[in-house]
Amino acid sequence: MKKRIKELIRKCFLSGLFLLFMGIQYSYAQQTISGVVTDENNQPVPGANIVIKGTTNGTQTDFDGNFNITAAASDVLVISYLGYATKSITIGNQTTINVQLVEDASQLEEVVVIGYGTSKKSDVTGAVAQVTAKSFENQPLTRVEDALQGRAAGVTVAGSGQPGAGMKVRIRGVNSITGSNEPLVVVDGVFGGDLRTINPNNIQSMEVLKDASALAIYGSRGSNGVILVTTKKGSGKAKISIDQFVSFSTVNKRLETLSSAQFAQLENDDFIADPVNDPADAPYTTAEIADFEANPIRYQDLIFQTGITNNTQVSVSGGSDDGVRYFVSGNYIDQTGTQITSKYNRYSFRSNLSKKFNDKFSLAANVTLSREIVTNNQDAFGGGDGSGILRAITWDPTAPVRDSEGNYILRSPREVANNNYNPIRRLELSNDEETTDRLNLTLNAKYNFSDNFSYTLIGSIATQNQSDESYRVEGDFDATGFNNFGYRNFNNTFYQVSNILNWNKEFGKNNFDVTGVYEVQGDRGVTNGYNASDILQTSLYLADETTAENFFNNGNVKSIQSYLGRVQYNYDNFVYLTGSLRIDESSKFTKGNRTGYFPSGALAFNFANKPFIQDSEVFSALKIRTGWGQVGNENIAVGAGDPQRVRNLGAYFGGERLNGDRDTQVGNPDLVWETTTQANVGLDFGFLNNRISGSIDYFNKDTDDLLLRILVPNTRFDKYINAGSVNNRGIDFSLSAGIVQNDNFSWNATFNLSKIKNKVTKLNDPEIDEIQGTVQGIGGAGIFLNSIKIGEPIGSFRGYEYLGTWKTTDNIPVDSDGSPLYQPGDAKFGLDENNNLEFRTLGSGLPEITFGFNNTFTYKNWDLNMFWNGSLGFEVYNQVTGTITGNGGNRSNLSPTVYDSWTPDNETDIPRRFTANVLNSSRWVEKGDFVRLSNLRLGYTFNEGLIKGVSSLQLYASAANLVLITNYSGYDPEVSSTVRSSGNRANPDAGAGIDTGAYPNPTTGTLGLKVTF
Amino acid sequence: MKTINKTKIVKSTPLLALFFLFATTFMVQSCADLDPDLTEFASPPGSYLSLDDMNSGIIGVYGQVTLAARMTTFYAPAWAGDDMTTHRALNKADFREFDQRAVQSSNNRLLRNWNAIYDAVNAINGVLARSEGLIDAEGINQDVLQIQLGEAYFLRGLLFNQLARVHGRIALPLTQVPPPDISRSSLEEVYTQIESDFLAAEQRLPEVYPGTLPGAPRPNKGSAKAFLARLYMDWGGFPIKDNSKYALAASTAKDVIDNAGTYGFGLVDDLEDLWTVAGRFNQESLFTIAYCKGCPDNSLANRKFSRLGLPADLGGWNETFAEIKFFEDFPEGARKEATYRTDLDYTQFNAQKSPVFKKITGPIGDLNPRDFLTERNDFLMRYAEILLIYAEASGLSGNVTADSWEALNKIRRRAAGLPFDTPDSSVDVITGDIADLAFTERKWEFAGEYVRWFDLVRREKVAEVLGVRDDVAGPIPEHNPIIGSLETSNYLAPIPADAVDRNPNLAN
Repeated sequence: MKKRIKELIRKCFLSGLFLLFMGIQYSYAQQTISGVVTDENNQPVPGANIVIKGTTNGTQTDFDGNFNITAAASDVLVISYLGYATKSITIGNQTTINVQLVEDASQLEEVVVIGYGTSKKSDVTGAVAQVTAKSFENQPLTRVEDALQGRAAGVTVAGSGQPGAGMKVRIRGVNSITGSNEPLVVVDGVFGGDLRTINPNNIQSMEVLKDASALAIYGSRGSNGVILVTTKKGSGKAKISIDQFVSFSTVNKRLETLSSAQFAQLENDDFIADPVNDPADAPYTTAEIADFEANPIRYQDLIFQTGITNNTQVSVSGGSDDGVRYFVSGNYIDQTGTQITSKYNRYSFRSNLSKKFNDKFSLAANVTLSREIVTNNQDAFGGGDGSGILRAITWDPTAPVRDSEGNYILRSPREVANNNYNPIRRLELSNDEETTDRLNLTLNAKYNFSDNFSYTLIGSIATQNQSDESYRVEGDFDATGFNNFGYRNFNNTFYQVSNILNWNKEFGKNNFDVTGVYEVQGDRGVTNGYNASDILQTSLYLADETTAENFFNNGNVKSIQSYLGRVQYNYDNFVYLTGSLRIDESSKFTKGNRTGYFPSGALAFNFANKPFIQDSEVFSALKIRTGWGQVGNENIAVGAGDPQRVRNLGAYFGGERLNGDRDTQVGNPDLVWETTTQANVGLDFGFLNNRISGSIDYFNKDTDDLLLRILVPNTRFDKYINAGSVNNRGIDFSLSAGIVQNDNFSWNATFNLSKIKNKVTKLNDPEIDEIQGTVQGIGGAGIFLNSIKIGEPIGSFRGYEYLGTWKTTDNIPVDSDGSPLYQPGDAKFGLDENNNLEFRTLGSGLPEITFGFNNTFTYKNWDLNMFWNGSLGFEVYNQVTGTITGNGGNRSNLSPTVYDSWTPDNETDIPRRFTANVLNSSRWVEKGDFVRLSNLRLGYTFNEGLIKGVSSLQLYASAANLVLITNYSGYDPEVSSTVRSSGNRANPDAGAGIDTGAYPNPTTGTLGLKVTF
Repeated sequence: MKTINKTKIVKSTPLLALFFLFATTFMVQSCADLDPDLTEFASPPGSYLSLDDMNSGIIGVYGQVTLAARMTTFYAPAWAGDDMTTHRALNKADFREFDQRAVQSSNNRLLRNWNAIYDAVNAINGVLARSEGLIDAEGINQDVLQIQLGEAYFLRGLLFNQLARVHGRIALPLTQVPPPDISRSSLEEVYTQIESDFLAAEQRLPEVYPGTLPGAPRPNKGSAKAFLARLYMDWGGFPIKDNSKYALAASTAKDVIDNAGTYGFGLVDDLEDLWTVAGRFNQESLFTIAYCKGCPDNSLANRKFSRLGLPADLGGWNETFAEIKFFEDFPEGARKEATYRTDLDYTQFNAQKSPVFKKITGPIGDLNPRDFLTERNDFLMRYAEILLIYAEASGLSGNVTADSWEALNKIRRRAAGLPFDTPDSSVDVITGDIADLAFTERKWEFAGEYVRWFDLVRREKVAEVLGVRDDVAGPIPEHNPIIGSLETSNYLAPIPADAVDRNPNLAN
């Protein structure tokens, strides 16, 4: 197979190479012209474009505004720079040409990447949000996702405090709870990027495609939105940038649980309350309790630590006269998490090289290499009884980590509270290391047949090699099941070849731009590994000394073949029309069902050039956009059409264990594409010479034939089905303003707001109105916590409605013999007409409103950035508080509410003690609304020339997550728990808003410096 | 001259490039393989083509049965018996609901047991369907095939029986993927189906399963008959109360007794040997679920013993305790010593003053008291039970013979520490109501073996027995008093609310 891939790459690139050689041609070498480009204040303009008219031959000015270009005397130089009026100068006999550019506000044209091409911002017809480096370079970031948060309307980002863990980025709501709702990330034209592996400093801009008219070009991959990432290219004089920061992170909040002394006293009270016990035998002495009072044992303090992040990045970039541009960067992150022993390291390297050989031909090669090491990720440990954090919260508060002789206390000495082994010892003795190496190679060759007609070939190959070396101490060395060794290797190879033909032409006021693409992509992933347990060795590489090993392997291969076309037309930069069609064929579907057609159309009117705008002092921009389109989703497992089985635990009859298998999946060969039809109406506006600008969009998304993995009724078999339809509708609003603009002081603010409503509108099976989800609760409960129900948001919480307790005066329902079904003090749940427990919808973890508010103040050399964001209108299923109250692995009630428990004398709404505590009830559903000061940063930029050779020096201090305003009782309502589904870690959307002990978002303080030479 | 050439090249480039473009397009066309061969990674299940396939399927079924049975969840309803109880607090509420007769449809153990049993049943139905093509197929050893089919029927009968004892009317899926709206069958249908499964097993299973250890870790003809006999006992009592089945119970039990040697069954001499690691494969077990320590991930270890039976004072989990009145009433002798850890003075425990089952913890030094993962086996039925079924059923069907008394007396002799085959007038009984005597004998013989509750149900003795359960003579009362109804309306457990929510027809 490896051979086959090699062969394929060879074949696919061959043609590209031909083009490369073809393009190397002689140029019309005549004479060298040099000069300086300055602005109105005689300051040099670096990075200005100098192009010979009628060609694409050109150069850029260096940092001091200097340029050199080779041209003939008859040539005309066109000098342009963003925001300045373009100048044309005929060379004649001059060899030195100095140019002074004049600012031109109307020329403030930004270029937007739109997928398989670029467009002027004014020409864009779809809903596209742009986030440029400029907007986030003032925030110390290790993660690209943080740069998106609150900066693009319609984009929600939810993080986890787990170092190196995935963050949840969602565009205009969620469609699915089976497949991932992660948007497609396209890095420099190549599919399948992973935001977490990208160094934010390498990013030039990100474009978020939101509506179908923008997305349809990505067809089957576009249903969750697309983020186009453009990485930096070098230009001008060589520039070295160094960026260094150090951060300190803490989790400050503590959940309310009984203190050591309270817990001990309660145990004593319970003991003494039982008349058979001799009070002299009470578990804790008065002296012990007094000692707990003075020196409480707080496992929440013990499991959290101050995490430290060191981030260093260096980049070298520049360009030369002969058309070479380079950007080389390296980045190293060393991070310790806020949970003890958790760590994250990332080394990454990027090299973007490009050369323009002549007017016709240019070639770019981007290479990225990265290694990530995640140590002691809490999700790598057994999680059936909840996360490690949850275990610590519920561990016996009267048992210290070590006894007086310094030995670990393994289990609660009195077998109370959490019944698992000491959570601190587990982390201190274990070492689980997941190492991921990635290598991406992208080649981009462009050939211009003429000024109007070009061909671009993008070829890419990416490999990912992930190995998980796990040594986990889960138990008692003196008992069975004390440790687990594991090794897992995952290897994935991805390829993509895109052929892009573009033709554009002006006919008077008619402008045409036509793009045609043929593209193939695919990947192959294989996993191999083994598990072993109970070996008295501390090294993974001694695992072969056991007989109890268990090996596993699996793999998959898939591919997509696509044809697409797009026509963009505008008349007089006033009326814009876009139409596109993409045809995708995916190997995931059976032959007859595999082809998907994804059309789109858009119409826009740009009034910017109309007199009422041009002549207005107030209005400066107005554009109306409408679009309609369809995108698809093929988010199902490879082999979803076929039944599947796995090797199960087998059987033992004495002697050798025998292997057996069990079915895991019922095949569904009739699966078809999930299709999302989206309509969008938008308005872009600008006032006061665009000092105030913004846009507002209304969208309506209907997802039909929703792909869903369900459990076949009355079985535990998985099955993928086209379940039904989901509607997402809402409004994206964004407003930017330069509120104050003085010489010394400026205040710029951006506000984004999205309102979205998610609803299941139809289930394809007319017999049912609800499909139960597959998210499992804590403690091995067989109940699933979410559901897909008509009229409710997808993935709504499912459970019993908690109505307090049954009181002695209540009319308690009875059975056929007249015996009461409940006792006074039992939890009272919503019942149906036959007095049976009824499952109801208890809330949804999908926020209705998300917003971001970013403010930047500058005063002389100082700058201050303040970024608020928040989410409103959602609930959290707080399984953590539920577990603290006693359930599953937690044997005792550690909640202070225990004091308010129902008694015959005091009939409260807290159930009688020692009754079963049900986790799947609305008792544990809370409002999640929050507002957070996400970033606060103060920076100082030193005047140029302070240090010789240093062109820029900046120092800053910042704080992330400094203020969190919420009524949520857990650590953080923005939970991203890794929930379990069918025994496996599920995708984060499966458990949106379900808190099973998520790693909390820490508060982080950062000191940093940026230097450019 | 040169320049002209160059110009030519430039001019012809578009055409050339177009040519290469098409060439490229043509070449990369072959890059996308839209019909990849996925059998490289997995072989999707289908009809069996060989006995190897069949074997892998049936072993997989045993795996699912073990998964269902390895935890106390499998037996949680048995906590309702007057022989066993659990801790008064901690996370044992699910067990307490049974113990206190206040079982809710939200009971987690009830649901997990329901799900695990149907998982195994679905797996069995898959094996039965896929093996159809092997029946009478050329080149397939029909003897081996029929034995394995017999195992499948046996296990299905066993699982349906286990669930029917808890819930009464249950759904009877007979296809791998049951109809989504399957409803519960009538009691008659349920018992008839279980009977038909055991009969189908009996027809196919060998007299002794070749190559197995004692105790029928893979069932034989005798195992199937023994479970049939037990089924008829259930059938004769609550909830169907078809008294005609008692005669069948007696004759079927007698059949097992008469052919015990053929099937490799019999009593062990010393009861103490049964609940030890060394004695885990023994001739007294009529069907054994065997467990393994050191098998991968410890997934085949038994999670019901050792730590679970000990109080926290001894590092235990406080889960499976003995009841005080039952313990105090228990006749002294060898059997009591084999049943309880009489070396421990339970009145001195601080975690909970409840007696400890030796059957659960093992004798001192046998199991590691820090383990909850053990290699102790489960005896789903003991030869002693067949003897007592015979004795009781003889009485209930009015056909008492000398053999009936002898069956009962064998158990009484061994319980007293005497050789079971040698008549001994000090313990033997030959008069009285043999049905009641055998019923009482069962009480002591199977204490702590998750049997007692189902005896109380079938003979409708719940109110009679549990009504006085808490009347403890000594200073220490029972810890979890009865709070629910002891009437027949409360005998059977509700269908788990979650299962009903998924398939509302199960409420009917």
